[in-house]
Parts: sequence; C-alpha cells; structure tokens
Amino acid sequence: MNPEKLPKRVLEAYIGEYASGKSENAVNRALELAHLGRKVTLVDLDLVEPCYTLRPLKRKLEEEGVTVLAWDTGEMIGLGETGNILKPEVRFCLRHPGDVILDIGYGSFGAQVLNLVEGAAEEQDLKVYAVINIARPMTGTVADIVDHVRSLGRVDGLINNSHLGEDTDLDFVKQGAQIVKEAAAILGLPVVATSVMEVLAPSLGKIDWYGHPVRVIKRYLPQAFW
Amino acid sequence: MGVIEGEKKVFMTGNEAVAWAALAAGAEIMYGYPITPQNEIMQYWTRLAPKHGRKFLQTEDELSAGFTTIGGVLTGKRAFTATAGPGNVLMQEPMSMAEAMRIPTVVVVQQRGGPSTATVIYSQQEVTLTCFGGNGEGLRVVYSTSSHQELYDYTIKAFNTAWKYRFPTFVLADGYQAKMRESLLIYDPEERGIEMVPTEAFVGKPGMPGEDRPPAHLRNTYNIEEELEEVLKKDIQEYEQMAPEIIEYDEFNTDEADILVIAHGVVFRSAAMAVRKLADEGQKVGYFRPITLRPFPQEQLRQAAAKAKQLMVVESAYGQLLKIVKDNLYGMDLPIHTLLRPGVGVTPEEVLADLKNVLEGRED
Repeated sequence: MNPEKLPKRVLEAYIGEYASGKSENAVNRALELAHLGRKVTLVDLDLVEPCYTLRPLKRKLEEEGVTVLAWDTGEMIGLGETGNILKPEVRFCLRHPGDVILDIGYGSFGAQVLNLVEGAAEEQDLKVYAVINIARPMTGTVADIVDHVRSLGRVDGLINNSHLGEDTDLDFVKQGAQIVKEAAAILGLPVVATSVMEVLAPSLGKIDWYGHPVRVIKRYLPQAFW
Repeated sequence: MGVIEGEKKVFMTGNEAVAWAALAAGAEIMYGYPITPQNEIMQYWTRLAPKHGRKFLQTEDELSAGFTTIGGVLTGKRAFTATAGPGNVLMQEPMSMAEAMRIPTVVVVQQRGGPSTATVIYSQQEVTLTCFGGNGEGLRVVYSTSSHQELYDYTIKAFNTAWKYRFPTFVLADGYQAKMRESLLIYDPEERGIEMVPTEAFVGKPGMPGEDRPPAHLRNTYNIEEELEEVLKKDIQEYEQMAPEIIEYDEFNTDEADILVIAHGVVFRSAAMAVRKLADEGQKVGYFRPITLRPFPQEQLRQAAAKAKQLMVVESAYGQLLKIVKDNLYGMDLPIHTLLRPGVGVTPEEVLADLKNVLEGRED
C-alpha cells in the first residue's frame, strides 16, 4: 500500500451531524498518528457534550501518548446544560507543536466554535472534515448531505463513516461510500476516507470500492457513556 | 401518513428515536421546555416537525409545558411533552390535573441524577415521582424502556394507551438511553398493523351542550368529599380493570431459581447479561423485569418469586424499585438482596460479582 503522505503537521477539525461519528473519528485519528510516533494533541471543542472529559476515556488516551486538551469531569459545573467555559489553553491549541486534532460540536453552531480558536482562519494547513453516516436519518440521501454540508460553513473534505453500530455490514459501508461520493462531487469536495470498524476492515483492505483510503475505527466512545 | 416508508434500519440516539416515534405515531404537536438529557427530543422534533406539518411550542417552564400539553389534548390534538429531573417535578402538577380530568397526555422522561439538578447524566431516581407523583393515587401508566427499539415502540404505544384508556401515560427512560447510540428499526405503525387510536376534541364540539350532546364538564375541583370519592372510586375501578390488559413484563429462568434478579430500564440490560452468563454456566439464576412500572405486574412477580429461594433488586436509585417490589410481594417471606447505586450506572460485571457473592454464601 502507499502509506498516506502526511504533512509536517497534521491539523484536522472534525465536524458534522449529531452522532455522525465526529469524536470516534477524531479519537481514532489521534491514536493512529500517535502510534506512528508523532506528537499529537487532541482538543475537545465540543461545548455541548465534551465527551473526553467523561470517565475513563481521557486517561486512556493520555496513556497512549496523546495530549488531551479538555476539562476533567471534576473541574466542570453543570455539564452539558449551563453551557461550558472554553478551557483557556484550548483557544491556543493550534500553537501546540506537532499534530493537532480538533473534535467539534455538532451542526452549524458547533462548527462556529472554530471562530474561538486563535489562528484557525489563517492556518493554511488546517483541514475541516465533515463526518457523514448515511444511517443518520437526516443525512441519509445525497440531497440531504449536500444541504447539511452547505450549512456547516467551511468544509475541506468528507469522511464516509456510514455504519449501523454492531449491525454494520460491508454492503452498508459501500452504500455509504457511493452516496457520500455523489454528494462530494456536487459539493466539489474530496472524499478523504471511508471509515470502517475493526472487524470489517480485513475484508475491505486499504482502499474502498471507489478509491477512497480506508481508516480503521476501533470504538472507544462507548466507554465515555455519553 | 408516509413519514417513514417501509422499515428502515437507522443508527441514532434514544432522544432521536423518541422524536421519530412521535412523528410516526402521528403526534401533531410537542410542547416543551429544554432540560438535559431530553433536549434532543425537542431539537429533533423541531427539525422534523416543519417538514411534516407538525407543530412545536416552547413554553416558559415545565409547569406550562405540562398544562399546554393538556390544552392541546383538550382540542383533540395528539400532543406530547418530554422532560427530566427537576422538570419532571414541575410536570407533576399538570399531570395530576390530567389524572383528575382523565386527559390522555403523553410524557417522555429521561431520568437524570437527583435530588434537585444533581447531574445531567443519568439515574433511575424518578421512579417514585413518575409512578406516584402528584397529590393523587398514581392513576397513570408508566412504561420503562431498556433500548432504542423499545423507546421507539413504546413511544408509539404510549399514545394508544393514553387515548384508549384516558390515563396520563409516561415513557420512562434515562440519560444513558437518551444519549447512547445504537441501531434500531423505524417504521410506520400502520404498515405494521398497529392502528393508531383516533383522537377527539374534549371541548368545542359541535351542537348545543345539554341538548344535542352532553356538556363537556371536565372537573378537577369538587365541592364536597363524597363527590370526589365517587369520581375517584370510578377512576380507580377503571384503572384496575385496565391493568391486566396493559401490564407487560419479561422473565427468564424463573423455575426454581436460587436467585431471581429484579431490575428495570437500562439496568435490566446489565442484570440480564449477568444472569444469562451464570445461567450458561449452569447456575439456577433468573430475572424478572417489569416493563410497566404502573400498573405493576404484581401477580406475575409473585408467581416468579414463589418459585425462587431469594431475590436481588438492582437499580440506579436507593430503593425506589425495591419499595414497589416489597409492596407487591407483601406477605411473602423471601430474603431480598440489593445492589443500589443512586445516580450511577450499573455494569453487568458489578451485577455478576454481587450474584456470585450471594451464590457462594458471602453476604452482599
């Protein structure tokens, strides 16, 4: 296979529909890069449901060598309800050396949080990826995906993350790849990857049916409770 | 209706499953006030409603959300609301009125930690409140779900139970079910042969009241004690008559069980996993799960308990299900072990460890 040609610094923000798999893709990407021996900072920019703060995922990520910028559960008040205070260091996350992966809250309001990150507008290498799962009823068709992505503001690429949890089969992932590819063509955006769960990965290989790179997803988020 | 064509496998949160179920059930309007962890019910309803000609009203608090839900129902709308925690506390005043006036309201509750605002995350601490809240006799129906499929199925069912029997009906879930993601089948109930009970207006009907039709005389206030007693006697009798028709439960391996585990809601899933594991290893362990917490499957639990040597009640509360269980087993002499974790989730491993302790004679 051709190993993905990685830039000097990987700067990626994951946005998209509620429960589309943004955090799961961000966590897996951070770990993938960390396992290559790269210095990686994972930033929790989800102000509605800051999931890494929840036991015990944050600790686990740090054990695997990822620097996590997120509140600890005990440092927060009124989680998820009263609004959250941006952790000061999060605002300057792009100034961290090495790779920086940003996990962002859902929808267009979630995506606006990028406005709070110093240098996000100027940073040429920052890529904003919309994560799409066609099993999410409001991003199930080409037309819905196009509308949804257009509502998000800046997007540099799509990730096909179509799955049905434990009930996923390869046919479903393929259907997702096809639909996301068509939506991407209309939007004039690249499909950056097809994400597929660990158990299905061996039967798919490194490239999906349409030539999109395959990313292997290990599910970490069930450990975050919600 | 055509909201959902055919059966569709989807991956979503429990809150979304509720919004889609209400849509599929033909709910016409949701009234609500935001509170975590039920917010996405409202949020998805407001995203879906305009596309399907349905409506939404955000009220100033849960008192108002409950009373406007009653108002919507009075005009003949299939109306519902959703809440949690302290919102559920406020909701008890309007739901008492619905009980008094036999108004078919539907309320979805996503339990959070208590007392007061506590946590936004999870608990099973709203069992007493949802079953017996308000200044009355708890003449209401409470379905306790344990999965997204059940949230979908029972939200649809709640509308039919409410409109058929005219008691306020609750779907009781929790923050884990609200926020967790899993796959489920969504469907149009009519396509599955589930007929939606038609709605009708309680007020503003055509014709001259007293001449063409009986007047709509909906009361929640009476002048004398005996007037109230007469109404309550009738309501209680109708409630008790309805009970056997709607009671639901699930049981496994109840014959000669050394331990019978009793749990409801999402905790039931942990309990069931632990019980099945021990049963696979040849242990005499079973479970009993009430699906309707009100009315409670009393006879069914008593029959299962009569065959068991001892019981274990597991819940994310400090004895709310336990109290109901004890009440329903009155007069039976059985040791009851407990695993009570107020406001905290219970894993299958924890249930398993406690069951082993009891089976091996170590105290719990």
